Amino acid sequence: MNSHPHSTYREDAQKGIDSPRLQKSLHNLQNRFGKGAMDIWAHLEDREMRRRVKKARMKNFDHLDILLAELASNVRARGGKVYFAKTARDAIDYTLEVAKKNQVKRVVKGKSMLSMEIDIDPALEGEGIEVVETDLGEYIIQLGGDKPSHIIAPCIHLDRNQIGELFTEKLGIDFTNDPPTLTMAARKALREKMLGADMGLTGCNLACAETGQISLVSNEGNIRMATTIPPVHVALMGMERIVATLEEHRETLQLLTRAAALQKLSTYVSFLGGPTGQTDSDGPKEFHLVIIDNGRSKILADPEFREVLACIRCGACLNICPVYGQIGGHAYNSPYCGPIGAVISPLLDGINKHADLCKGETLCGACKEICPVQIDLPRMLAALRHKLAYGSDRWNTSQHNPAEAYGFTLWRLLVTRSAFYRAFIKIGRFFQRPFVRKNKMISKMAGIGSGWTKGRDLPPIAKKTFTELWEEKYGKEKPAPPTAREEENNG
Amino acid sequence: MDNETTFLGNVRIALGEAPRSERPKKMFPRLFASPDTAAILDKIRSRTVAGQDALVEIFREQAESLNLSTHIVQSFDEAADVVVELVRSKEPEFNHTKHVSMHDHPDITALQLWNRFTREAVTLHTTFGSDRQLKDKTIASFIGITAPEIGVADSATVIQLTQPGQPRSTSLLPSIHIALLQRKNLVADLNEAYALLREKSHLDSMVFISGPSKTADIEAQLVHGAHGPREMHLIVLAVPEAVDKETATPVAAVTESPEGS
Repeated sequence: MNSHPHSTYREDAQKGIDSPRLQKSLHNLQNRFGKGAMDIWAHLEDREMRRRVKKARMKNFDHLDILLAELASNVRARGGKVYFAKTARDAIDYTLEVAKKNQVKRVVKGKSMLSMEIDIDPALEGEGIEVVETDLGEYIIQLGGDKPSHIIAPCIHLDRNQIGELFTEKLGIDFTNDPPTLTMAARKALREKMLGADMGLTGCNLACAETGQISLVSNEGNIRMATTIPPVHVALMGMERIVATLEEHRETLQLLTRAAALQKLSTYVSFLGGPTGQTDSDGPKEFHLVIIDNGRSKILADPEFREVLACIRCGACLNICPVYGQIGGHAYNSPYCGPIGAVISPLLDGINKHADLCKGETLCGACKEICPVQIDLPRMLAALRHKLAYGSDRWNTSQHNPAEAYGFTLWRLLVTRSAFYRAFIKIGRFFQRPFVRKNKMISKMAGIGSGWTKGRDLPPIAKKTFTELWEEKYGKEKPAPPTAREEENNG
Repeated sequence: MDNETTFLGNVRIALGEAPRSERPKKMFPRLFASPDTAAILDKIRSRTVAGQDALVEIFREQAESLNLSTHIVQSFDEAADVVVELVRSKEPEFNHTKHVSMHDHPDITALQLWNRFTREAVTLHTTFGSDRQLKDKTIASFIGITAPEIGVADSATVIQLTQPGQPRSTSLLPSIHIALLQRKNLVADLNEAYALLREKSHLDSMVFISGPSKTADIEAQLVHGAHGPREMHLIVLAVPEAVDKETATPVAAVTESPEGS
């Protein structure tokens, strides 16, 4: 893992805020999908469903070793191969080995967040293998050498003109900004790629232990292509994406498609449990399921964060988060953005490295409200801040900003000693004078204070504090019996 | 196998269990416990024709919003009429000849499509398991016809099982997918469908299909035909009740054992 000495969170967030195009897309997205999902939850007939699925998810984690063993044995019984990968490197090495053995020259990918997490594309390309994203959004991102900015809608930050220009440059078509025409151009180009592919590489939305099948959702059909046409299918699965029974599968699936895109079901839900049978005429001859840990067992071991593994990656929290809604996905600088990214990225990839993410969120609680499985992300964001404030051996986290810690220690000493505090206020009143503007606000502070006023004005310290006013009015004489109204205000 | 042992051992450590002692699933009978589906199956089997017709109506309504066209017909002949009309009126997308691929299924055989195209150049292919040119024929086809096992009214879904003579690509590669479903194979919701699927969970693969392929990746504008079919039609074969008992029963008996070939 490469460490970034300097986080670009602030700069990238500012870029997002300054882009009217992005602001418009994010507004539309949140207006439709965020509100839509909340509306579905409000009218859900089965009121207990979300709680039940969450409970089942948590119960399954308690028995994860048993479920994974059962899944593996059922997949193997159908002739599929199962590989357990402790690290990203292990998963990449195994996939490369399969690719080499099958003399793979082209890999077509179904949209997979996990493939980004383990960063498998450069490794495949390093072996001279062509890697083609087939989800339209991911394909556009790949053509442009860009990065996705939403879990479900990767190119939400691009508008039709940019995509039109990109297609003219990369696919050699006449410029058009008409979405249907652009989609048809991609359809033709990708169909050729898929029909001639040697390997399909997908993620796994949800595996069912008792049946030994993985399932994948898609609206475009690209995942069906990637799992039907090439002779080899490799599925990458996060070890937490498992349910025990078909019944659990049904309920979890229904929450996933509703939360992700307000659908009762996605257009396609593929169930895959092994290579094609001897009597089947198409489908892959080899099926490999790669079950990946890559830091998940560490999260599993910590009761404070285990809950985050219940995430089914629907992306709904992005569709309501006021922070994501302003800054967009790129600022998170991680495969997982939005509130879920702000919790999972630090846990998987280093709390210090991704320190800005949990500090940037507001703890407003919207993500918890919209989450299909009601994950308490705000609680975990606060817990991450705690780790950053005090350091944590368990998470190999150092105190993020010792200067800030000293500052707050001083502040505590100050506010708990009233004489000092009052003196401080008086001094502050004097020194703030040159900063107070005509609107009687402070819009610019110096030194370490400058960040506070970057995007907002601060009211100056009042000429007289409440205590001083009280002293002035009532201090000298015995206070008159307060009127009813005052009593109400004081109470 | 070794990395599996280490991996699962690691999981057990995370759970506070002894890393080396495998926990057998027998010790956790409730983990894989499923609710009894007998009542659900009973409900499906005892559904009256009127009840089935109500489901057809729900399916049609749901399908409309998904751009899935529903055609309700009363006989195989009528179903064939719908197919013929589509083959005649639609143009191929990727080439200039009209090829049609269809699953090896008794209901599709009963359409007798071979007898229908006497004046125009239409080539019909049945996806027999033994056909080595199957992939090329499917790629060349602009229409694929399948007969899904189950239809789900609530979400306007058809469930296509992968079986001998019924490959995955017939409902995927052609530009237009036509699904032929007998009314009695329609269930109310996923709850009912999953109860039926419990008996099919040994299969290598299956797919739920709810409408034509679509994408909204460019400025959230909905476009049909991203990778899969850009158009989908469901033909519901609803033989009138009076005739049902005489003519439909033998057909139903055939449907239950599609491995006839």
